[in-house]
Parts: sequence; C-alpha cells; structure tokens
Amino acid sequence: MNYPVWQLDFAGGGLLIAVMAILHVYVSHFAVGGGLFLVLTEHKGIRENNPAILAYVQRHTKFFMLLTMVFGSLTGVGIWFTISLLNPAATSVLIHNFVFAWAAEWTLFVAEIVAIFLYYYSFGRISSRQHLIIGWIYFACAWLSLFVINGIIDFMLTPGSWLENGSFWSGLFNPTFWPALFFRTFLAVMIAGLFGFMTATAQKEPGLRHNLVRFCALWLLAPFVFLLASAWWYRAALPPQLEAMVFDRIPGLQGYMRAFIVCSPLLILGGLLMAVRTPSAVRRSLAVVMLIVGLIYIGAFEFIREGGRKPYIIQNYMYANSLLKEELPAVQQVGILKSARWAHLRKVEEDKLGVAGQEIFNLTCLSCHSIGGPLRDMRKRSAQLSIKGLEFVISAMGEKLPYMPPFAGTDEEKEALIFFLHRSLLNQPQAND
Amino acid sequence: MDPSFLIPAPDPIPVNWFFLQFLLTITTFLHLVAMNVLLGSACVALAAPLAGPDEQTGPLCRKIGEKLPYVMAFTINFGVAPLLFLQVLYGQFFYTSSILMAGYWLAIIGLLIVTYYAAYIYHLRYEDLGPVRSLLTGAIVLLLVVVAFFFCNNMSIMQLPESWVRYFSGGRGWQLHFSDPTLVPRFLHFIASAVAVGGLAIAVYYEHRRRQGDGSGERWIKYGCNWFTIATLINFPIGFWFLGVLPSFAHNATTLAGKLFTVSLYGSLALAVISVIQAQRHRVYPAVGWALGAIFFMTLAREFVRIAYLNPYFSLADLPVAPQYSPMIVFLIFLILAGTLVWWMVKTVFFAQEVK
Repeated sequence: MNYPVWQLDFAGGGLLIAVMAILHVYVSHFAVGGGLFLVLTEHKGIRENNPAILAYVQRHTKFFMLLTMVFGSLTGVGIWFTISLLNPAATSVLIHNFVFAWAAEWTLFVAEIVAIFLYYYSFGRISSRQHLIIGWIYFACAWLSLFVINGIIDFMLTPGSWLENGSFWSGLFNPTFWPALFFRTFLAVMIAGLFGFMTATAQKEPGLRHNLVRFCALWLLAPFVFLLASAWWYRAALPPQLEAMVFDRIPGLQGYMRAFIVCSPLLILGGLLMAVRTPSAVRRSLAVVMLIVGLIYIGAFEFIREGGRKPYIIQNYMYANSLLKEELPAVQQVGILKSARWAHLRKVEEDKLGVAGQEIFNLTCLSCHSIGGPLRDMRKRSAQLSIKGLEFVISAMGEKLPYMPPFAGTDEEKEALIFFLHRSLLNQPQAND
Repeated sequence: MDPSFLIPAPDPIPVNWFFLQFLLTITTFLHLVAMNVLLGSACVALAAPLAGPDEQTGPLCRKIGEKLPYVMAFTINFGVAPLLFLQVLYGQFFYTSSILMAGYWLAIIGLLIVTYYAAYIYHLRYEDLGPVRSLLTGAIVLLLVVVAFFFCNNMSIMQLPESWVRYFSGGRGWQLHFSDPTLVPRFLHFIASAVAVGGLAIAVYYEHRRRQGDGSGERWIKYGCNWFTIATLINFPIGFWFLGVLPSFAHNATTLAGKLFTVSLYGSLALAVISVIQAQRHRVYPAVGWALGAIFFMTLAREFVRIAYLNPYFSLADLPVAPQYSPMIVFLIFLILAGTLVWWMVKTVFFAQEVK
C-alpha cells in the first residue's frame, strides 16, 4: 500500500520471481555443493595419484566458474531486483532488519570470487596443499553464504520470537533455521553430483569416465537418506498451524508436493543407473534428464516453501499483498483506496467502478494472481464464478479460505472489485448473477 | 498533487545513519573504480585496433580480454554492497524509482549476463574470433553503456519525487527521465570518467610489469596515459555542463550540504588536474593515487547532491532507529576475516616462487 505497482498482468502472480528464483537456487546450491565436490575430487586425484582426475577437476572448475560466477551471481542480484519491484515493502523489511547479515554475506561473496578465480588460475602453479586450502576456503565461504541467506529465507516462513522482540538474532536463528540449513546442505551436495554427471560423462577416456560417473553417483545417493531425515526435521519444526496449512489446507501446493515425492525415487533410480556401466550416449542423455529432474525437485521444494507462507509474505507480520497484519483493521475501516499512497482514485465512483476495481485488484491481488498468465490466472477463475460466487470467495478470504489475506476494503470497494473481475476482466456487457 | 504524499514511510535502521552512509560512500567508490576500469578498458579494446594493425595492437587487446571477466566479477560484486546500503538509507525513494522504470531496471540483469558471457568469449576465444572480435567488443561496450544509462535514470528519478506523478498518466514500469536536464551530462560525465580510468588501468598494468623487469609493454604505458589525459580533459567541459544544469540548491553555499558539495567538487577538480600532469610525465603510480582521490571526492560530491535534492522531503537524521549494534560488529569481524583470507590467497598465488 506504500509503493506504486508494476502492473504485469500476464507475468503477474509472481511468475518473474518464480523463474528467476528457481534457476538461481539451483545454480547457487551447485555453487555450494560444487565447491566441496571440487576439493574432494582433487583429494581423490591426489590420493589415487591420477593426473587425469586432476585434469578433470581443472576442466570442471572452468564449467563451475562460468555457471556459478556469471549466471549464479547475476540471477542472485536478479532476485533482489525482482522482489524489490514486486514486493518492495517486504524487501525493505528484509533489508532493514538484516542489513548486516547481507553485508556479511557480501564479504563472503568477495572471498568466494577471489578463491574460485585463484583456485582455477593456480592449478599447477602452487603446491597441492596450498591449492587445496584455497579450494576449502572457497567452499567454507560458499557454505557460510548459505548459512546466512538460509536464515533470512526461513525468517519469512517462521519469524519466531522476532515478532515480539524484533531482535536480529531471533529473526536469523528462527525455528526452522537449523533443519533448513541441513536440508539445503545435503541438497547442495546432491546437486553437485547432478552437475558432476554433466562433465564426467563428457570425458573421452572410458576408464576415467566410468570412475568419475560412479564418484558423482555417490554424491547423489549418499546424502539422500540425510536429506529425507532433515526434511522430516524441517516439517517437525514448523508450528502446528503452519504445518497443517502447508500439507493440508493450501490446494495449490499439492501438485508441487506430488512432484517432490515423485522426483525423490527418480533421483535414486537415476543415480543407480548412472553407476552401472552403460554406453556413453545413454549415460550422457541420462545425465541431462537427471539434471532436469533435479531442477523440478528443487523447484517443487521452493514452491512448497514459498507457497507455505500464504497468506503472508512474512508469516504473521505482512500479508502477501504487502499489507501489515496490524494495519488490516484500520484499512478495512477507511478503505484500500484511501489508505494506498499510489492509488489513482481515492474513492469508488459509480461511473468508474471498473477503474476502481482494477486499482483494488492491482493493490491487493496482483502479487498472487496474474491476468491471463500461467500463475493463478484471475481471468480463468473469474470466468468460473458468478457474481454471488465472487462475493462468497472475497468474503471467505482469510477465514474459510485461510491461505488468502482477508479482503482489506470496504463494501463499495468489494463491489468495485467484483465489477472489475466479472465485467471488465471478462469483457461482459451485462452482469450475470 | 503533493509529491511528498507519495513517499513511502521508511523502515527503521539498526544503527546511526552515519555508519551506513559511510559504508555507502566507501563501497560506491569501490564500485565506481571497478566499473570505470571495466567500461574504460573495454572502450580501449574497441578503439585500439583502429590505431594500428593487429600485430601491434593485438597483444594489448588480448591482455584486456584476459582481464575483462575478472574486472566484471568485481564490478558486480562491488555494486552489491552500495546497492544494499542505498536501500537501507534511501529505500523508500529507490524502490519507488525502480518500480517506475521496472522494465528497464530488470532488463539490467539480462544485459549483464549477456555482457559477462561476451567478455568470457572474448577472453577464451580471442584467436578464433577474427573480424568478429570488434563486433564483440562493440557489443560489450554498448551493453555496458546501456546499463550505465539505466542506472543514471534510476538515480535521477529517485532523487526527484516531483517527477513521480507521471506514474498516474500511464507508462507504468517504462519511464525514463529525459526531462531531467542533468541526466545527459551526468551520464556523459560517468562515461568519460570511465574511459579515462580505463586508460590509466592499462598504464598501471604495464607499469607494474615494467617494474618486474618486463619492458615489452612500455609503449602501452604512454598509450594508457594518453587515453587518461584526453578523456579527463574532455570530461572537464562535461563536468562544467553538469554543474551548470544542477539546480542552485544543490550547490547553495549557505547550506551545509552545499558547502560540502563545493569543497568536494573543487577538491576533485584539483586532484584530477594533478593526476593529469603526473600521467603526462608518465609517473603512473602517483597519477593513480591522485586520480583515486579525485574519484573519491567526486563520490562524496555525488552523495551531497543527493542529500540536497532530497532535502525538501527527507533528512537522514529523521530516519527512525531501532538500535541493534551487535550485527554490525559481527559484519566487521566478517570483513576482517574475509580480507585476511583474500590477502593470504593473493599472496600465496602471486608470490609463489615455483611449482611444488
């Protein structure tokens, strides 16, 4: 209500952030797990006295650097850009509360960049011990970045006692901090194996290729049981009401839940298949398929986590449409148009019902609903409802439909919103009861 | 409409604003230096082949290409921190201006990804590129210039809330700010500065090699110094143009911000003149010292101009504070540890005597 709205329509409902975040999260987990993969593969090469493995590590480092340093870093900045455009109020809360966590993470980012460049640059130029130390420094900094960011991400899901005391430390070390950290660490290790398949299957020498592919399969399979255990711990750490909401009450999350459950055995099966000696072309194709399955896996998890916050963007503090929970009664009393700084209209006028309705839609619905887009398309939903149906849905928001924020407007504003959804959006000349 | 009504309410900051403003200034300075080296050296790589055949200019361009991806990485990294501190101090202005030009603002991410990969292609495929090389450097320069232009626009919209009312006449998310008379000179000022610093960075690199006993690149020291001198001399009239179109309140000597701006501006000017004289004598390191001083003073001037622009609406001292100093201490510890690790790694790799 404090900021102007970027009217996206088709790309509304969080499509931009979903695309940017899923791609980034996949690559950024690779940036963590892949760092460990580099040093442990180098250890393996040294232990086995195998120069071919060491040469592979160098080639994999180049691939790793090009993917994580360019695409990973910039999509990370991209998330920041995107959330500040789509939900500036929530971004502002995260930035102001955790400015020094972000700043600390930035210092780690500096060290990460220097470490990975020098790690790549110094193959064969310094002693193995020094080279490995630089690799370990990279991994330590990358994992500590995860440590910090994980706290901020989970703060949005379970802010815990921050809601009462406003303390930085309560917010960072929130109730799901530790299980989420373990979960993401194991996930990062598995993703390192998935990306490892990509470069390992490209090795020309069959013996080396088989050795490396089996090594990568170990990375995928070994942490799996720990991942499941930490997922269980993660669920158990959720407050009961939130757990019920995530697993039972939000209808849109069931599909992502199924995708997550289906992908788990697929990853295991794929890992086992990769470990078996099969023709090179089969392994190569399977590596690509596995990489896609991994993307779906982490994408489903992120959708569940993000969706689980509904109707909030910061649990019990700020609704998904940027309205503060404590401000809701006051806004309901005076109305959305009078409360919003950036509204074209200050009140609902009889001859501008559609304009007022669209304004109310933009201010309170656009953050979760698109118009004609792939995410929670409001045109499609409106078409399935009569005026009475829309009235019912809007009145039920926040109670019978607990995953939606309560409607913050007055009765006239509700009428204007219904007019927009039923008449303007569907281009209907007459109201249809 | 009164623009002050549109300004969102700020969130509380955890420490006194001065610490955050200090960090903003320092990190902006670091970002500007890295950005100048990146854009400036890319401009030199684009222009150098025009000055002579590939046998002569090729080694220079190859060397620039080798360094571009690394400089790009640090430019982006050093851009993250000032963007963070800017949001903490001026978030209510910055988020608003970003949304008003959201389409262009978000496009920066795509443009930077393309530029970054183009820089890697230039570095890793230099020999294979042949005549396409100039097209690639041209694309890199163009993309960086476009990104810089978008940044200038955002900073311009951010500090002029009276321009925000255009939101209500359409063009949501696609506004640029051509009606600001300072936009073009400000942008050109940055570009000329980048070209100058890019030239100086080349001179520094070859001076460093010369001091290590490799005199093969001596001509590039003079070449880089000449780029620095010419671009800086061109920048003087641009700077005066910029100064001329700045509103009088920005350099009003009766206000504290105006006084500080004037001191910073003339300090910067004086240091730039000294650095040009040093560069013309090919005393590269002193020229760099004075040039960095000039950039730092210019960074300060930029901050004071922003404060003056926003003065009718906002003062940093008015920001609500919810004190929590322990996270800042932890950040400083991280800064020291990360700095120590970086120093150790650089020392280990670059001072390594032999392969063991």
